[in-house]
Amino acid sequence: MSFMENLMMALSSLKAHKMRSILTMLGIIIGVGAVIIVVAIGQGGEAMLKTQITGPGNTVELFYQPSDEEIRSNPNIFQQAPFKQEDIRALEQIKEIKSIVASSTQFSTARLQQDTVDVSATGINQAYVKLNEMKVEKGRSFSTSDFLGGRRVGLVSHVIQEELFKGKNPIGKVINVANQPIEIIGVLEKPTGLLSFSSMEVYLPFQTWRTIYGSSDYTQVTLQAENSDQLQTAGKKAAKLLNNMHNTEDSYQVLNMEEIAAGIGQITRIMTLIIGSIAGISLFVGGIGVMNIMLVSVTERTREIGIRMALGATRAQVLTQFLIESITLTLIGGILGIFLGWGTASIVSFFAGWPSLVSWQVVLGGVVFSMIIGVVFGLLPANKASKLDPIESLRYE
Amino acid sequence: MIVLDTITKTYLLGKENVNVLNNISLTIEQSEFVAIMGPSGSGKSTLMNMIGCLDKPTSGDYFLSGENVSHYNDNELARVRNQSIGFVFQQFHLLPRLSAVKNVELPMIYAGVSKAERQSRAEEALKKVGLSDRMDHLPNALSGGQKQRVAIARAIVNKPKIILADEPTGALDSKTSISIMEQFRELNEEEGVTVIVVTHESEVAEYANRTIFVRDGMIQLPSSSTRGASE
Repeated sequence: MSFMENLMMALSSLKAHKMRSILTMLGIIIGVGAVIIVVAIGQGGEAMLKTQITGPGNTVELFYQPSDEEIRSNPNIFQQAPFKQEDIRALEQIKEIKSIVASSTQFSTARLQQDTVDVSATGINQAYVKLNEMKVEKGRSFSTSDFLGGRRVGLVSHVIQEELFKGKNPIGKVINVANQPIEIIGVLEKPTGLLSFSSMEVYLPFQTWRTIYGSSDYTQVTLQAENSDQLQTAGKKAAKLLNNMHNTEDSYQVLNMEEIAAGIGQITRIMTLIIGSIAGISLFVGGIGVMNIMLVSVTERTREIGIRMALGATRAQVLTQFLIESITLTLIGGILGIFLGWGTASIVSFFAGWPSLVSWQVVLGGVVFSMIIGVVFGLLPANKASKLDPIESLRYE
Repeated sequence: MIVLDTITKTYLLGKENVNVLNNISLTIEQSEFVAIMGPSGSGKSTLMNMIGCLDKPTSGDYFLSGENVSHYNDNELARVRNQSIGFVFQQFHLLPRLSAVKNVELPMIYAGVSKAERQSRAEEALKKVGLSDRMDHLPNALSGGQKQRVAIARAIVNKPKIILADEPTGALDSKTSISIMEQFRELNEEEGVTVIVVTHESEVAEYANRTIFVRDGMIQLPSSSTRGASE
C-alpha cells in the first residue's frame, strides 16, 4: 500500500472531523509558531548586535601593544605615536584595503582672547571625515584643498561653541590651539546615540596638525575594506607588515571585532536556547494533545480497523495508516505554525525595530520536528490499533 | 477445498476453560453451497471465524486448498483472508466515509493492485451485483439490500475461492433477503465460488446444497449429511 494511498486516507479522515483536527493542530501550530518566533527574533538580534559591533563600514582598528622587552628598552614608548608616515604608505599597497583612516590626537589648550579651555586636538586625514560621518551643523566641512594645503582651519565640537563662545556663532572666528591661530570653519552636530557623549574637540587637517605639533606620526589607524571577509585578510596582512617594518614580534595587532561579536553571539544563542526550550514545552504539550486525539480516534474506529483486517490488512498496514494520520496532523500543524511564527516575528520586528531572521534551517527544523512529534506521539495509538483483535473489533459497537 | 481436522477452540473464561469448538472435523468441497445452522452460543460464529482465518484453533489442523493454515502467523493469515476469502456480514460493515466503489476497492488496496485496475475491477464487481448506477453513493445513501450488494461486490472483487456470509439476511426484509440469496446462488453456480452461509433462518438454509448443524461446539449429524463428520 503506497504512501500516497495512506496520505489520501489520512487527509480524508482528518477532514471527516474538521473541528477536532483543527483544535488538535492548534497545539502544534502554537508550539511550532512560538519556537519560530523566539529563534527568529533571537537570530535577528544576534545579527543586529554583530553589525553594530563591527560597524556597517567594514572597518578594523590597528593598535600597538608593545612587548615587555620593548617597554624596558624604551620607557617612553607610550608617549610616542606608533604609526609612521612610511607605515601608512606601505599599508596603502595592500590591495584588500579600501581606505586608511589615520589620525593623531594631542591634548592642549584652546584660547579665545582671555578664555582658555582644555581640548583634544585631532589631526585627521580625508578618509576620516567620510568614515566617521562628520556632519557640521554650522559652517562647512573640510575641503580637499584644506587637506592638501594644510590650511589653518578647524572644526569644533558643539560644546566648544557653548563653553568658549557662550553659544555665539564661532564661524570665521580665530582661536589659538597650542598657541597657533586656527580659523573655525564649522561646528559639528551634537552627537546622538546612547553611548556617545560630547567632549571638547578640535579637528584639524593632518598637514596643519603636523606643523603645529611638529610630529608626522599617527596615534590611530583604522582600515576599511570592501567586505568583512576582505577585512579579515586586510587586518592580518597589515599587522604582519607593520611587525616586519618595525622588527617587532606581535606588537601591532588588529582589534578583532569578530571574536567579540562571536562572544556576544554565544550569549544571544544561549538566551534563544533557553526561551526556545520553554516554547518547546508547548510543542510537547501539543504532541500530547495529538496522542490523546489519536487514541480517541482509534477507539472510535475500532470497527473500521476490524473490517480492514478482515479484508486483508496486516497489522503493519494498520499501524502505518494511523502513524501517517498523526504525522499528517502534526505536519500540517507544523507548516501552519511556521507561517504563524514567520508572520508574528515580522510584525514584532516591524514595530520593535528589531530585525527578525527566519532562516531556511529553522523552517526545515520546524517541518522535521513536527513530523517527529507526529511519529513519537502517534506511535502509541497506532500500535494500539494494530494490536486489536479482528473478531472483537468487528463486534465493536 | 476446506478440511477441518479435529479442531478444538478453548477460551479461558474467568478461571475455567470453555471448549467452544469440540473436535470438529469437516470437509467442504470447492463450489459447494453450505449453510451452517445452530442456536446462539452453539459455536457457529467461532467456527465461521476459524474458517475465515480470523481465529486460530487451539488444537487440530485446518487445510485450506491443501495448505495447513492453522499455524500461520498474523501476516500470513491476513494474506489468506485477502486472497482466498470474501466476507459478507450481517451489519454490512461498509466504511461509512467511502463511496460504494471505494469500499469495493479496499481489498484490492491491501492486495497491492494498481489504482487504475482497482477502479475498473470495482466497477465490474458492482455491475455484477446490479449497482452500476450507485457507484459513487455513500453507504448511508443506499438501502439495506443495496449495502449488502456492495458488501458482496467487495467480497468477490479479489476473486476468492470462498465467500463466508455471517447472517447476510439478518438485517433485511424477506423480499430483499431472497434477492441477496439469489445473488449468492448465482455466484455459486456461475463462478463456482464456495459459499458458506451462517444463518438461523431455514428459508436461507434452503438455498444450500448441504446444511451443517452445530450444537455445543460439535457438529450434529442429521440423517441426510454424514459426509463432513465421517472424514
